[in-house]
Amino acid sequence: MASSSISKAEKSYIQAGLLANPPRRADGRSLHDFRAISLETGVAPLSNGSARLRIGGNPHDGSGGTDILAAVKLEVESIQGDALDGGRIACNVSCSPSAYSHLSSGALEDLQYDLTMVLHQTLSHPSLHPKNLGIIPRKKSWLLNLDLLITADAGNIYDALFLAARAALWDTKVPRTRSVEYKSPKTLSSASGDMDIDQDTTSGFDTRNVAHATDFELPDYWDEGEILEGRERWPAAITLNLVNTVHFLDATLHEEASCASRLLVVHSYESPTSPTVQSIRLLGSDELSIPHLKNLIKEAESYTKAMVTSLTAKLEDENFRRNQKARERFGKRK
Amino acid sequence: MVEITIRKRLQTEAVITQRKFFKKTARGKVVKVLRERYLRDDVACGIEGCRECSTAMPELLPFSGALDHQLFPNGHYLLPDTNVFLAQMDLIESHLFNAPMILLQTVIEEVRHRSLPLYNRLKALTKSEDKRIWIFYNEYRSETAIVCEENETPNDRNDRGIRAATAWYNTHISLTRPPIRGHKQMPHPTIILMTEDAANRQKAEQSGVASISVRKYVEGMNDANQLLDLLSADGSHEIEPTKAAAGRQALYTDYLPASALLAGVKAGELHQGHFNRDQYNYLEGSVPVPAFDKPILLVGPENMNRAVQGDVVVVEVFPKNEWKAPADEVVDQEAIQRNDDAEDSGEEGDVNGEEVIAKESRVLSGDPSQKTPSERQPTGRVVGIIKRNWRAYVCHIDSTSLTSTLTMSLSTQTVFATPVSRLLPRIRLRTRQAPTLLNQKILVTIDRWDSTSRYPEGHFVRALGRVESKEAEQESLLLEFEVPYRPFGKAILDCLPPEGEQWVVPPKGALDVQNIWRDRQDLRDVIVCSIDPPGCQDIDDALHAKLLPNGNIEAGVHIADVSHFVLPDNSMDSEAAARGTTVYLVDNRIDMLPSLLGTNLCSLRPSVERLAFSSIWELTPDAEIVSVRFTKSVIKSKAAFTYEEAQIRKDDPNLQDDLTNSIRLLNSLAIKLKAKRMAAGALNLASPEVKIHLDSAESSDPIDVEQKELRETNSLVEEFMLLANISVARKIEESFPQTAVLRRHLPPPKTNFEKLQDILRKTKGFSLDVSSSGALAASLDNCVDANEPAFNTLVRIMATRCMLSAEYFSSGSVAKDTFGHYGLASEIYTHFTSPIRRYADVLVHRQLSAAIGFTPLHATLHSKSHVERVLDVVNRRHRMAQMAGRASVEFYVGLALKARGEQAKLRGEGDVKEEAYVIRSFRNGVGVFVSKLGIEGLVTFKRDTQFDAENYTITVPGTREDVKISVFDKVVVRIEVEKDKNTQRGKVKMTLVEPVDSSAL
Repeated sequence: MASSSISKAEKSYIQAGLLANPPRRADGRSLHDFRAISLETGVAPLSNGSARLRIGGNPHDGSGGTDILAAVKLEVESIQGDALDGGRIACNVSCSPSAYSHLSSGALEDLQYDLTMVLHQTLSHPSLHPKNLGIIPRKKSWLLNLDLLITADAGNIYDALFLAARAALWDTKVPRTRSVEYKSPKTLSSASGDMDIDQDTTSGFDTRNVAHATDFELPDYWDEGEILEGRERWPAAITLNLVNTVHFLDATLHEEASCASRLLVVHSYESPTSPTVQSIRLLGSDELSIPHLKNLIKEAESYTKAMVTSLTAKLEDENFRRNQKARERFGKRK
Repeated sequence: MVEITIRKRLQTEAVITQRKFFKKTARGKVVKVLRERYLRDDVACGIEGCRECSTAMPELLPFSGALDHQLFPNGHYLLPDTNVFLAQMDLIESHLFNAPMILLQTVIEEVRHRSLPLYNRLKALTKSEDKRIWIFYNEYRSETAIVCEENETPNDRNDRGIRAATAWYNTHISLTRPPIRGHKQMPHPTIILMTEDAANRQKAEQSGVASISVRKYVEGMNDANQLLDLLSADGSHEIEPTKAAAGRQALYTDYLPASALLAGVKAGELHQGHFNRDQYNYLEGSVPVPAFDKPILLVGPENMNRAVQGDVVVVEVFPKNEWKAPADEVVDQEAIQRNDDAEDSGEEGDVNGEEVIAKESRVLSGDPSQKTPSERQPTGRVVGIIKRNWRAYVCHIDSTSLTSTLTMSLSTQTVFATPVSRLLPRIRLRTRQAPTLLNQKILVTIDRWDSTSRYPEGHFVRALGRVESKEAEQESLLLEFEVPYRPFGKAILDCLPPEGEQWVVPPKGALDVQNIWRDRQDLRDVIVCSIDPPGCQDIDDALHAKLLPNGNIEAGVHIADVSHFVLPDNSMDSEAAARGTTVYLVDNRIDMLPSLLGTNLCSLRPSVERLAFSSIWELTPDAEIVSVRFTKSVIKSKAAFTYEEAQIRKDDPNLQDDLTNSIRLLNSLAIKLKAKRMAAGALNLASPEVKIHLDSAESSDPIDVEQKELRETNSLVEEFMLLANISVARKIEESFPQTAVLRRHLPPPKTNFEKLQDILRKTKGFSLDVSSSGALAASLDNCVDANEPAFNTLVRIMATRCMLSAEYFSSGSVAKDTFGHYGLASEIYTHFTSPIRRYADVLVHRQLSAAIGFTPLHATLHSKSHVERVLDVVNRRHRMAQMAGRASVEFYVGLALKARGEQAKLRGEGDVKEEAYVIRSFRNGVGVFVSKLGIEGLVTFKRDTQFDAENYTITVPGTREDVKISVFDKVVVRIEVEKDKNTQRGKVKMTLVEPVDSSAL
């Protein structure tokens, strides 16, 4: 995935720097430091949830760095046959050709497919599935389309993708629906000619029991809807770049090119104390011993925790900025 | 270097600049819609002489507001809330209601969201000249724009916006009128928020905004008495809660929520259709639905559940063992409900109400078991209303429901208004003008029908005039059938050629600036003539025929080229599309197109050059079509005949001129064409048609009624029109398979004929074969009773009533095998020959003109949905026009009968007696048809009779012995026109004279 092939000399220079004590990186970071991450939600107003994430962009004009747009679009889907109830999640990653100008179109497609698979398999796992994607049991549900677009790649694409996905899903609101049904009355009251209808006139239409509901309505068209259930569960990923026995985080493109293998660990923090590992992937040619791997996963867990905490804080902040603050500013303007 | 800046709106302001909402589409998808909003500071307030807001608009609100309201001596402007327009549109539309009004954009949008018809009325209102309305775009002015708060419903948000705008106006006025030293400070006019929503009023008071309810406002106006009547019932209960409304017993079940109805209909468990009330028995109604062959029967008021004629209702069908057959009794609403008291009907413990209910249930409890199971039809009840089709109804005030008849009395009374149409329930309304409205035709709209009220509640709109005055009767007829009868507006008349009456076909060549002659064939030398009914002014067709050298005959039909004058998509075109058809009444004609076109420029008058659209065939002497071509042309008709003149001319052997010979040629072809059509199975149907003799043009009092006479020449014209229509239909269907405007007549479902077949078999021993139109035609021909020459006509009339009505459709909208015209036995048909009086013909002209490459087809005619929409309107107008025409004839027949009765009385003779045929039998009466007058009547017996439903006979006690009367029997009836004492409604009353005098029964 490196955008530039680098010479052996460069490679060994970078490796030597990483292994030195204290380690030296081109941008002066320590091994476990991240570049600056900037995040903005609600960037695509027509989507149900969206986010833009940049890692390592120039703080002044935002140029350079990895840049990803993520958007969630909900679609009503009729459930055919015995298909699963309660909605589906479909992820798709596209790479802008300008971000990978050196790749042929075939290679670009392979890359897209690769990234899509990693993301889709992790996020559509039943353990993460939000419970409010169903509309009418066995009839209709939401299909959640999560689309990610990589507009620039300056390294650490996996972490960036998962972060962007998490932000967009966090931002997602599901329109509130109310299912309606018609239930034929069990006993028909005598309908002959007396006008006295003082008898039991319980309605045959009980919208709480949705067993026979066939359709739904939007009770409040103005309302954006409710947040996805269990949005704290959405996982975050950490890529550990391995050079000999040391690992470092948030590799730039050159650093990625100079390390032989990388370990991708995806953790979900439903409760802050007991994270679950959602997915692990080893990229590269090196072998890893089990104890070493265990150790690395442990390490990754602590990095992810820090990452999730700061991400959640930032997302809450975003929410505040977009709603309350904006309203206040609007109020003051008068 | 050039500096380029991008004026991009900041994403951070999204919450202010964007409005997002979800929409569920018809296909069940959910779409998110986003609207951008740009706020500005120069949206004008619209008050004359405002120093801040400059506007070029000429019509502004007066500087000092309205000064004539008692409560606001300092002047005021009215700012109505949405609910005012939703509930009290009639009031706002009244010419007496003329306070300067500020109409907020929020309100307009909300009205549009809630009701499209009301929105259209509101739009028309803002354009009318006698209203002072300023539209203020409050959502776009930065001071008045608001943002939806968290957890705020759209309704609350809009209310807040309306209050904010009211407050802004008040400050705006005080800021722009600062006190000037030395001058006495005048008090400023105030902005009054008018709303029916008490909560909104309360909030307004809290924030210091003056607000008022509609009723309170109207009460303080100078014309309060007249305006208070216009208040709809919706708003009144808040002020004066009618006696313990909550404590009332619900008479009807509540409707189900709209979403549940749709779900039920979708799931096929409920059925949706138009509600029709039975015209003989007001306690029964029916709803035709696609799921059953027979319409669903609704028995009793609680099963009809407040449905009114024409409403789109949702019906739940009972299980099969509870299905019933329609009752065979005439139940007159007025007779049963006569003693019901308007003031307190529908309340608990009301004696009269109980009485009515008891009577009704007695009528309904007829034993259904004696009915044959085959007569049963699906029975059900209304569970909800999809769409009310309420409009203004022409009514009479029921005089017995008045508590005070003193003309001076201005107290509010609750009275009953009885609609002219028998299909509608009585309407309860409150009015202060009741005594003056007696003996008048009035217009009433229904506002609501609560489940606790036996009758719908409405309000008075306006008076039409005295009962039986021609003007009132005619206007009420037009209103009743929703015929648009307003004179054509200026925008429409501007679409006419500027030369007006002086317009002529320009000479060929250089003087033809508009290039009218382009691609037009010069047929001025062809011997063309027109044959029409006497007094016809809008001649839209003319004919010619000549022998060709090869022995074949060239025949041509020339139709006025209306599409040359009526261009697509201008205001004349849309008006014509909305009118759909010209409506012919006995003494009046409501034109579809301005009369300059109809009676002059497009009328194919003799000896005048006129533009035409010609269809020219080469036919063999046996009337086989060799070829057909269509062309735009210029013709010069040689003569305009009436049917009678043409007939005389044709029959006169001394005349051997070209014109006469061409009529003879046409006639010979027509006879062969008709024979062919009949052989193919066309029906010869009959409907009663009568002609009204008008005494003179001024008085237009009819003196007599007679049946229309049909001559050979009638049939001549008809055959060629049919030929032209069929040829044109083929051509346009071939050229525009998706959008061709065609006309079809679906074969009637077999079940429609069951009853007629049964009656014929049992009473006369004839059988009716309804398997195809040809078989039906043949078996109708066999239904002949040598003693009764009128019997055959009668059967034909009854058979016609079993059939469906023909309709226009767009060829792409239905399956090709349903294109056929049943009555004409043609596989394809359209209307081409009367573009002056039918809008469908105008569309066909445009399509044919495009098919022959004369003009390109207008884009709208390529759109299937557009054509469908236009034809839906045309179909409805067409039906209404027919009904209006019939009602007009009925009215004149009534007048004629009355005149005849009076004359007979003067001469000392008895009453008017006529022969009639029994066409229907009921448990307590018979339906009769008076063929000489073309009217139908009902003879009811008060005394019990023996009724044999199986054999359609009724046995009546006679002077010596009992007399049996069965369907198709000839009887003699006495016909009187009497006025209903209560409602002043003219009513034709018939009593049997022979075989037995029923006046005592």
